[in-house]
Amino acid sequence: MIHFHDISKTFGTTTVVQNLNLTIDRGEFCVLIGPSGSGKSTILKMINRMVEHSTGEILFAGEGIRTFAPEVLRRRIGYAIQSVGLFPHWTVEDNIATVPRLLKWDAARIDARITALLRLLNLDNARFRNAYPHQLSGGQQQRVGVARALAADPDVLLMDEPFGALDPITRDSLQAEMTRIHAETGKTIVFVTHDMDEALRLATRVVVLNAGSIVQAASPRDLLSNPANDFVRAFLGKDDYGLKLLSVQLVGERMRIVDIPCGPETVRPDDSLRVALSRMLAMKANRIAVFGADGTRDGTVFLEDLVP
Amino acid sequence: MTKAPSATPFERAAMGRFVVGLAAFGLLLVALPYSSPLFAALFPQLDRPLYQQQTFATLVGAHLWLVAVASLMATVIGVGAGIFVTRPMGREFRGLVETLSAMGQTFPPVAVLALTVPIIGFGFWPAFVALALYGVLPISGNTISGLESVSPAAREAAEGIGMTQRQRLMQVELPLVAPIVLAGIRTSVTINIGTAAIASTVGAVSLGSPIIIGLNGNNTAYIVQGAVLVAGLAIVVDLGFNVIATRFLRWRTQ
Repeated sequence: MIHFHDISKTFGTTTVVQNLNLTIDRGEFCVLIGPSGSGKSTILKMINRMVEHSTGEILFAGEGIRTFAPEVLRRRIGYAIQSVGLFPHWTVEDNIATVPRLLKWDAARIDARITALLRLLNLDNARFRNAYPHQLSGGQQQRVGVARALAADPDVLLMDEPFGALDPITRDSLQAEMTRIHAETGKTIVFVTHDMDEALRLATRVVVLNAGSIVQAASPRDLLSNPANDFVRAFLGKDDYGLKLLSVQLVGERMRIVDIPCGPETVRPDDSLRVALSRMLAMKANRIAVFGADGTRDGTVFLEDLVP
Repeated sequence: MTKAPSATPFERAAMGRFVVGLAAFGLLLVALPYSSPLFAALFPQLDRPLYQQQTFATLVGAHLWLVAVASLMATVIGVGAGIFVTRPMGREFRGLVETLSAMGQTFPPVAVLALTVPIIGFGFWPAFVALALYGVLPISGNTISGLESVSPAAREAAEGIGMTQRQRLMQVELPLVAPIVLAGIRTSVTINIGTAAIASTVGAVSLGSPIIIGLNGNNTAYIVQGAVLVAGLAIVVDLGFNVIATRFLRWRTQ
C-alpha cells in the first residue's frame, strides 16, 4: 500500500530521516515508535505530503505520491492528530462530513455515513450529532476526530500520537476501539506513538526508529522475543519486560480445558496473559476461570502456566 | 453549512435591545421637528431655536450613507490587507501594512480633510477619503490578530484532511475570525459616526451640519440637536452590530 524507497529528509543542514526503506502492506496496523527526534512523525507526514521528502520516492497504491495534487492525495488518506483539531464552529456532524463534502458526495450518502461512523465510534447519534466540539470531553473529541478521518472511507489512516493527551482510562478504551475498528474495517493504519505498551497492544508490526533510521521492524511478539539490540531492549523496558511478554500472549493459548471452582474474577480467551496475571494477583489466587464471549466456561489458566 | 438552529436567548435579547433602541431613535426623529417650543423655552435668547435648513431625516440619511460607504471601503481594505499579509506570499508586507494603517489612525481626520479638499474639492468625497482611511486600522488590526489566533490544531487538521488553501480560508479561518473582524468593524463604524460630523466643515451634509452652523452662529440649540442625533445614531448602530455579533457566536453559546 505504501512504499518508502531510499527516503531521506533534511531540514536545512539537519537530517531527520536517512535512507528509509519500508513497505507497509494493505491491512497492516503499522506503529512507528521511537524517542523524540527519531523522525517518526516526519515519516508519517511524508505519506500525505504534509512534509515533503527530500530524496527518494514514496509510492501510494503503486503510484508516486507526487503524481497526486496534495489535496487529492490527502482526501484518500485519513488523518488524525494528538491535538484533534476539530473545527470549533461546526457541529460534530459537519466536522465528520468535511471530506465527503469536499468530495461532493450527495446528502443522503453523507447522512448515512455519519450515522454509521458515530455508531462505529460508540457515540450516541441523538446526543452528539448536533453538539459542538467544546461541549465534548477530550476522549469524545478524539472519537469524532477518528470518525472524521475515516469519513470518506480512505485507503489509509494516519494517526499521529492520537491518544497521547488523554487520561489512561480514556486512552485504554480508545485503544480497544482502534483494535476493533481495524479488525472490522481492515484499513491500513500507520500510527505514531512513543508509548511501547500502546505499540505492542495495537500493532501488527512495530517499527522502532532511532535518529531517523529503522532499528527493527517486527511483529510485537518477535520484537519482544528477539530484540535486535540494546536500544530496542532499553525501549522495551527493564522492570516490566516480562509483563510486556505476557501482554502479547493470549489467555486462549495457555489455558487448560478444565472446569474447577475459581475466584470471582474471570478472563476471556482473547484477553492477554498480563490481564490474567493481574486479576489473579488482585484476588490472591493461583488460577482464574476463562469464560467465552457467549458466557460459557472455556477453561482455566493456572499461575504456573504463565511461565512456559 | 449547519442547518440553521433556532436563535439563542443571547440573540433574542440582543435583538430586543436593538428593536427598542431603533424605536426610541425613530421616535426622537419624528418628534424633533415638533420640538420648537421646547427649545424656545430652553434657549429663549435664540430667534430660531430649531434647525430647519434640511430635515433631520435627511441629515440622518446623509450621515449614515457617508459612514456606510466609507466603512465599507475601510472594511474591504482592512480585511483584504489582513488576509494578504497572513498568507505566505504577503507575509513580508505585514510590517508595512501595520505601519500604514497606524498612520491612517493617528493622522487627525481634520488634517486629512484639509489636505484632500485642495485635491478633490469640497463636499462628500474628501469626507469619504478621510473616514475610509481613519477606519482601516481597527479592521486590519483585528483581521491580522484574528487570523493569527486560529488554533494551529484546526489549521493542521484542515490541511491534513485535504482542504485547499482557499477552502481553509473560506470555511475554517474566516468563519472563526468573523467575530473578531466584526468587532473591528464595529469599533471603526462607531468612531466614524462621531468623526463624520466633522465632514460638514468641508461641505458634506451630515449630522455635523447643525453642529457646525450652531458653532459658527452661537446657536446652542442647533448643537444640542445635532449632538443628540449623532449620539443616538451611534448607539442604535452599535446595538445592531451586537445582534450580528451574537449570531456569529451562536456556536460558542450553545
